[in-house]
Amino acid sequence: MYYLGVDVGSVSTDLIVLDERLNVKDKIYLRTRGRPIQVIQEGFKLLREKYMDEEIHACGTTGSGRSIAATLIGADVVKNEITAHSTAALEMDRDVQTIIEIGGQDSKIIVLRDGIVVDFAMNTVCAAGTGSFLDRQAERLDIPIEEFGDYALKATTPVRIAGRCAVFAESDMIHKQQLGYYEADIIGGLCEALVRNYLNNIGKGKEILPKVFFQGGVAANKGIKKAFEDALGFEVIVPDYYDMMGAIGAAIIARNAVRKTGRTNFKGFGLADSTFVSKSFECAGCPNCCEVVRIYENEKAIGCFGDRCGKWNTSLPAQTIA
Amino acid sequence: MKIGIPKGLLYYKYHPFFMTFFTELGAETIVSEDTNKSILDLGVKHCVDEACMPVKVFHGHVASLRDKCDAILIPRIMQIRKREYICPKFCGLPEMVVYNIPDLPAVISEPIYATDDKRLYEWAKEAGRLVTRDRNTIRRAFEKAVSVQNEYDIGINTLSYEMKVALAGHPYNIYDSYSNMNIVRKLNALGIGIITEEFVDEEEVDSEVGKLFKRPFWTFARNTYGFLATAYEKKLCDGVIYISSFACGIDSVLIELVKERIGDFPFMVLKIDEHTGEAGVNTRIEAFVDMLERRKTYEDNVPSYGQCVPCSQGSF
Repeated sequence: MYYLGVDVGSVSTDLIVLDERLNVKDKIYLRTRGRPIQVIQEGFKLLREKYMDEEIHACGTTGSGRSIAATLIGADVVKNEITAHSTAALEMDRDVQTIIEIGGQDSKIIVLRDGIVVDFAMNTVCAAGTGSFLDRQAERLDIPIEEFGDYALKATTPVRIAGRCAVFAESDMIHKQQLGYYEADIIGGLCEALVRNYLNNIGKGKEILPKVFFQGGVAANKGIKKAFEDALGFEVIVPDYYDMMGAIGAAIIARNAVRKTGRTNFKGFGLADSTFVSKSFECAGCPNCCEVVRIYENEKAIGCFGDRCGKWNTSLPAQTIA
Repeated sequence: MKIGIPKGLLYYKYHPFFMTFFTELGAETIVSEDTNKSILDLGVKHCVDEACMPVKVFHGHVASLRDKCDAILIPRIMQIRKREYICPKFCGLPEMVVYNIPDLPAVISEPIYATDDKRLYEWAKEAGRLVTRDRNTIRRAFEKAVSVQNEYDIGINTLSYEMKVALAGHPYNIYDSYSNMNIVRKLNALGIGIITEEFVDEEEVDSEVGKLFKRPFWTFARNTYGFLATAYEKKLCDGVIYISSFACGIDSVLIELVKERIGDFPFMVLKIDEHTGEAGVNTRIEAFVDMLERRKTYEDNVPSYGQCVPCSQGSF
């Protein structure tokens, strides 16, 4: 008996398989590259080598692409990232009081007390200080993002870089580079800038108490972890499956949901072979002119997204939204 | 004579007054459509970049009326209550619009001091002249408009849900369902009812505001602070969602004041701007509702934890 969790994020799509005791049996980390459907298919191709459809007893989705993923795989629950991340963290450690989660496009802080979420915040309309920002800067410096953290740790005197806005940071960085600063010091400075931005913006007014879990793709970056520890003055824990926490949470929530309903809606790994086509059109029903996208699986329409009024969305069988 | 009335900014609160006034004068009125994508696009195209979204949306409404009327009402609202002011963008709104949108018809932009009927009538005298020279007609139209406005009830207070959220923010962010991505419907769909500031008595607002160390300069701040403090104190809601336009100056102060007043009571700020992708807003709303539900289940069993510490001490 296994539980499947799928987290379709802006940068990565993560698939996780948990066993009955919620141990991780399999994890797949793929780059979304703006093609959520193909990436889920890719993941399913890998999973069906090892698992039978009947073995999956619950499946849940989360992440910004959670609705489309849910339609595709027949999810039992569609859950927001905050709840998914906190569920996963609490499963690992009941004493977690703060979760710092930095993903590709979002960054979040979740405050927990006695095992429940009491407060949270997400970055506002701007994506500065998230994974995509680091990706972009790594690219500019021509350093693989995987090595970014190691560079930062080599910094002896981190250079101060403006962290409020990605564009500000970039121009500040270029000016410092032109003055000939040591690369590692610039990268170290960048990590500090990101942490400063996080704590002053998302973390503002929040009581950050240990234990602190640091999750999301950016937690792989040792430089950021260290910058957080320096700023907070205590240890920041990066859990083993830091980049899978959303998917793990979705799987756990799905298990709980199926316990109540008694059966899963999982459509099976067969979708790996299906042909998915998405067609979009501009609805002419009102001046909003919504760009509606309709997904076809083997020429059969399975879902509709993008309409504000729900006219197209509901023209298909209702999906379960938990 | 046809008068165009843009459906933006404080239209949502004061449209009965303006509509009645001009209709009673014998003018024809035309109201722009509900905010939609083409209006937002028009607004972004014409407006200065650094303005907030509601001001951009207002520009869009004016632009959409440009060729459909003989005169456009651009209310220059200076004051609604004595010794308080509203956002400076309202005082300069006519200039901003006129210099940004070319070829506008005549513009009705006399300053509006709505602190009492006598001062408000000064506006009516000036604005009414465009339609009629007859003082008596203007006086009658004005009196009718005031009485219609006084009878007008706006506000939401849903009773049929187990949980309720206080929905706060400037009126145009609450009532323009395009700008706020239909938040009322989204919350209702999640089983959450709503209460807005109109459902708290003025006396209660005054009493809460009176406890502040300084009287608020802004009417928006007074209304929202008084509402949320009362809603929290009298347990009218389970949490607060504050809709704030990106880069709003008043809100930057107000949000901190409210946080300090309500301590660790659930509070979420929803920043809105020109985004049309709804994933971000949906995630935040769903997560907030999840949190409220879990807190409620928890608090029903155990007394609430912790104590209120002012946010100036680094803790919310």
